[in-house]
Amino acid sequence: MPMKINVVVLDHVSKVYRVGVEDFTALHEVTLEVGEGAFMSIVGPSGSGKTTLLNLIGGLDRPTAGNISFRGRKLSEMSRDRLASYRRENIGFIFQTYNLLPVYSVYENVLFPLLLLGHRESEVRGKVMSLVQKVGLEPQVRKKPSELSGGQCQRVAIARALVKDPSLILADEPTANLDAENSFQILELMRDLNKQFQAAFLFSTHDEKVTRYISREVRLEDGRIMWDKRRNGHGELE
Amino acid sequence: MIFKIAWTNFYRQGIRAFLNTLITALTLIALIFMVSLFNGFQAQATHNLVITDVGGGHYRAPGFDILTPTEWEDKTRPVPSSLAGLPRGEKAEVLIQQGQLFPNRRLYPVQLRGVEMGQTLLQVPLAGLESFPAEPPDVVPVVVGTKMASRTRLEKGDTVILKFRDRFGVVDAREVVVVDVADIVNPRLDEGVVWLRIDHLRKLTRREGEITWVAVDGFKGPVSGFEFHTPEMLMSDLLTLLRYDRRNAKVLMSILLFLTGISIFNSQFLNVFKRQKEIGTLMALGMEARRIVRLFTLEGSLAAVGAIFLGALLGIPLFLWFQSIGLDVSHLSEATMPVREKIFLEFRPVEIVSVLTFVVALMVFVAWLPVRKIAGLDATLALRGRAIT
Repeated sequence: MPMKINVVVLDHVSKVYRVGVEDFTALHEVTLEVGEGAFMSIVGPSGSGKTTLLNLIGGLDRPTAGNISFRGRKLSEMSRDRLASYRRENIGFIFQTYNLLPVYSVYENVLFPLLLLGHRESEVRGKVMSLVQKVGLEPQVRKKPSELSGGQCQRVAIARALVKDPSLILADEPTANLDAENSFQILELMRDLNKQFQAAFLFSTHDEKVTRYISREVRLEDGRIMWDKRRNGHGELE
Repeated sequence: MIFKIAWTNFYRQGIRAFLNTLITALTLIALIFMVSLFNGFQAQATHNLVITDVGGGHYRAPGFDILTPTEWEDKTRPVPSSLAGLPRGEKAEVLIQQGQLFPNRRLYPVQLRGVEMGQTLLQVPLAGLESFPAEPPDVVPVVVGTKMASRTRLEKGDTVILKFRDRFGVVDAREVVVVDVADIVNPRLDEGVVWLRIDHLRKLTRREGEITWVAVDGFKGPVSGFEFHTPEMLMSDLLTLLRYDRRNAKVLMSILLFLTGISIFNSQFLNVFKRQKEIGTLMALGMEARRIVRLFTLEGSLAAVGAIFLGALLGIPLFLWFQSIGLDVSHLSEATMPVREKIFLEFRPVEIVSVLTFVVALMVFVAWLPVRKIAGLDATLALRGRAIT
């Protein structure tokens, strides 16, 4: 079995926020590796540091201490512009509240990251349409986010995250705003796309249903890793 | 690409963008209207004074003061030969004397103003006197303005006793007939003024060939025994008044611009405030902070340009319509301001450009400022909508 290369490595990463006059430690010396094509979740109660961890990996925030490396490059050494370029080229985000651009259609929302990468629309139209089709939104392709259901919006967000062929997709509570039926469909879709595109998926969630789909689960409590379980040959997390 | 995104963001905001643009357009119209109306008022006041009285200046008998009637009789001179020969479009001889009118058995001190017939320099409605011979008839023809007629209850055709003194101090009285009640655009030349042919007034007061001043179309060089009064000197009281008015208008304008600024700032700031998450999303998608700032600034600029176009679309027909009806300011005419019953807009390109520049610069600035702040913070705050609170 070929050895999988780590996409992201966190080395004793801490994040401290100042709240008023007091310091609040959101993450405490977290060390973690995310391999290529991983499909893993960060679980834990609210306030355990899941979102902070994803934000740090996504270069949206900087750690107070420790290092985060993406394919061997330290994020802490990157300028703001370089971090933007890192996100643009390598990271796909899926947010709990979808964060779609409200004035754009489904097609345009999916197209947008490619325009940021400097592609011309005519060059990538086929690719965008193919992804829209994969997430099952072809009939809604001209609709705006306000005309879509929550599940449909999250599908657009998934297509938008995948369209630029990123190495890593960070999904912050992707099913939190969805009902059971839609959550199931979204998780199925993400797992299929994970297999198809080979992008690593890293979820933050406190949704028990997610556990059935992932191959690795990291539990965070009070900013510390409590366990890091991987699925064994019998399909059980250990 | 940034322009395309900005344009799409702008026009797809729909009613929100339209209302924002409309409010700014209306503000532009209001500001330009106010400034131009004030200009129109000032221009008409000075213009009316020039065409009815001041011309291009006066050659006056030294020491003459219109506010000292008791000295008018001493401040007359024979018409200087260098001015007497000027064409009738370049000069108007004027003789000022004091008199007393007795309408309805009441005494009414008046200014007797004799003006050369046939002159075309000053626009005074004395056509009713043209047909009379140079020699005054037994009942001397005079013209009064509408305000004067109203005050003294005189009508066209009425006769009334006029008392005056001749150059030797002899008091004389003649019956005069009101041959016309004229609409005089300058109220200063209406109330308390009785208009006569200059030759009649000269005969009555035995001042053959004399004048108080000669109004000219411009400086004709030094004239011995006369002082030249420039239009600015002759209108100094009005100009001082208008200067104070302009200062007051500037204060008012500043207040209006300030309120406009607050209104634009408020609407633009609210617009950016509501789009914090969108800014955070753009950051997460990998757009650099400076491109986000450029994008939103461009959107603000598009809104400003849209406001100018919409302002022109709404404002030009409004201004054309207003120019056809004017603004009734007859109350100012009553207050002896030299304005007609209606004033009209006078547009000055410099002021219009200044107003447009101010509003556009403000819109761009308030689009730039909050976004610059948000984009300078970490993206997580923007994503949570907490970058600016």
